[in-house]
Amino acid sequence: MKSRLVVTRSILCCILLLINSKVTEVHSQSSHIQLITHPSVDATTLDKDQIRRIFTMYQTNWADSQPIVVYVLGSQNTTHQFFSREVLGLFPYQLERIWNKLVYSGLGEAPIKVKTEQEMLEKIRQQPGSIGYVMSENVSTDINIIHLAME
Amino acid sequence: MRSVFLYLLVLFTLPVKAGDLKLHGFVAQGLIQAQDSNFVDDDGEASLKLTEIGINASYKINNQLRVAGQGVYLNGGNRYPEGLRVDYLFLEWQAVSNADWQLKMQLGRNKNYHWLYSSTRDVPHTRPSIILPQSLYFDAFRDVALGVDGLAIILNTQNELGDWDVNFSVGTSPISDEQTSNLLGGPASGELEHKKDYQFSVYWRPSQTQWQLGMSLLDADFGYQRGENDALFDGKETSQRIAFHMLYQGEHWEFASELLRERVILKNFIYPGFYSDSTSEGGYVQARYFLNPQFTFMTRVDIYDRDRRDRKGDNLVAMSQGLVPGYFGFMDQATLGVSWKLAKNLQLQTEYHRVKGTGRLAPYLAPDVVNNDQRYWDMWALQLMYWF
Repeated sequence: MKSRLVVTRSILCCILLLINSKVTEVHSQSSHIQLITHPSVDATTLDKDQIRRIFTMYQTNWADSQPIVVYVLGSQNTTHQFFSREVLGLFPYQLERIWNKLVYSGLGEAPIKVKTEQEMLEKIRQQPGSIGYVMSENVSTDINIIHLAME
Repeated sequence: MRSVFLYLLVLFTLPVKAGDLKLHGFVAQGLIQAQDSNFVDDDGEASLKLTEIGINASYKINNQLRVAGQGVYLNGGNRYPEGLRVDYLFLEWQAVSNADWQLKMQLGRNKNYHWLYSSTRDVPHTRPSIILPQSLYFDAFRDVALGVDGLAIILNTQNELGDWDVNFSVGTSPISDEQTSNLLGGPASGELEHKKDYQFSVYWRPSQTQWQLGMSLLDADFGYQRGENDALFDGKETSQRIAFHMLYQGEHWEFASELLRERVILKNFIYPGFYSDSTSEGGYVQARYFLNPQFTFMTRVDIYDRDRRDRKGDNLVAMSQGLVPGYFGFMDQATLGVSWKLAKNLQLQTEYHRVKGTGRLAPYLAPDVVNNDQRYWDMWALQLMYWF
């Protein structure tokens, strides 16, 4: 009986450890996600509400009236999933629903999808007014990194 | 209005820069059977009349002006007229777009943005089910509820309370002969005209929550001019609708509910001097469970009473001297469904409906008591959909 209790306890401990390690992983990811823009974009700091309005396509122009070009990764991409939940505060399916409504009712346009973070970096480098996100640490100097303002 | 469309067509044919033009579309084919009812076909057999195809384009003329249009081919059997149509086609002027406000105006044929699923009700992969809850998304009334030829104003803002959407539209919809007989019944050979349509809606997403709450209003007038050998008479119809909308989106669960109350006033129509003023009530509660990115399960209960003072349809029986059964006074529907995402842009959806009553079956004014002779009936559907 005693040994069974020990086994149960150690299993519980393992599960707790696993959950804990997941949490730390999320935290370390959070510190690495980079919101990036083309150098033509003046903004250097954005708060979460504004980022959400940009990625849900409600705000389509920058303050200097330059059009915003939004790039995103696919719904199954883990970087996208992380960005969607942690930065925008939306589940990826909610974003899909918002974009579908825009595209198929004519209300607006959806962001442009790219396949990889490498492609994201290339597009952001080339397209004036563009915004996107990557998990990579080494973002080159010809791309702007946006500071996330804490609320 | 025709000249507006011509103008928009000209805009469409202007030389375009590749990056400014966006093209999307969808193709879906299904199999459907509504036994013991005329919902899809009069004979109630399994049918392939569940086809939805669409292609749309959006072209940015400049920072503030945009043209968008969608053409569709639909076949839903008796549910609505079959064929090609312009789903929407408008010129949009974005007056304001900044960090806190967005204000847009659309001139042309625009979509109904006022209910949860109204703006994409013909786009299969955006719907929770193949057949939408008939209390609100009454298929026989579909063409009129799709949107209007006129003006739509769309406002969006955010403040410390959350995100706000405010929509207003004014205009009318063209009503085809087939749609007329869908609404009024076979003997109607005259012209039904949509005289006016005002709609307003407001949606609120409280900040830091997964909720969205909304309210919408509709005020529409129709006029009827009798034709030759017409069983009906010149008449007027007024619809005034208030609806409440709710959506909760959690990680694995989504709950949606829409409730409506609609006042319908009929003048003349049936015989000169006829007058009827009744208020219908209905609504649904729907839950979806996202098992994983591939599988979604859906369940829903939808209820509708044609007259809140005659929920069992007793007056209907009395007024028709027994010709129209009482179950035409309501329609309650329980639905179970599954969606299976086979690939990135490919989905298979299936569902089963158990229905009590026939109050939302066309024609509306002169019920089809021959094909709808059952108080309880079933429906199932299966649809494969692709989009890009």
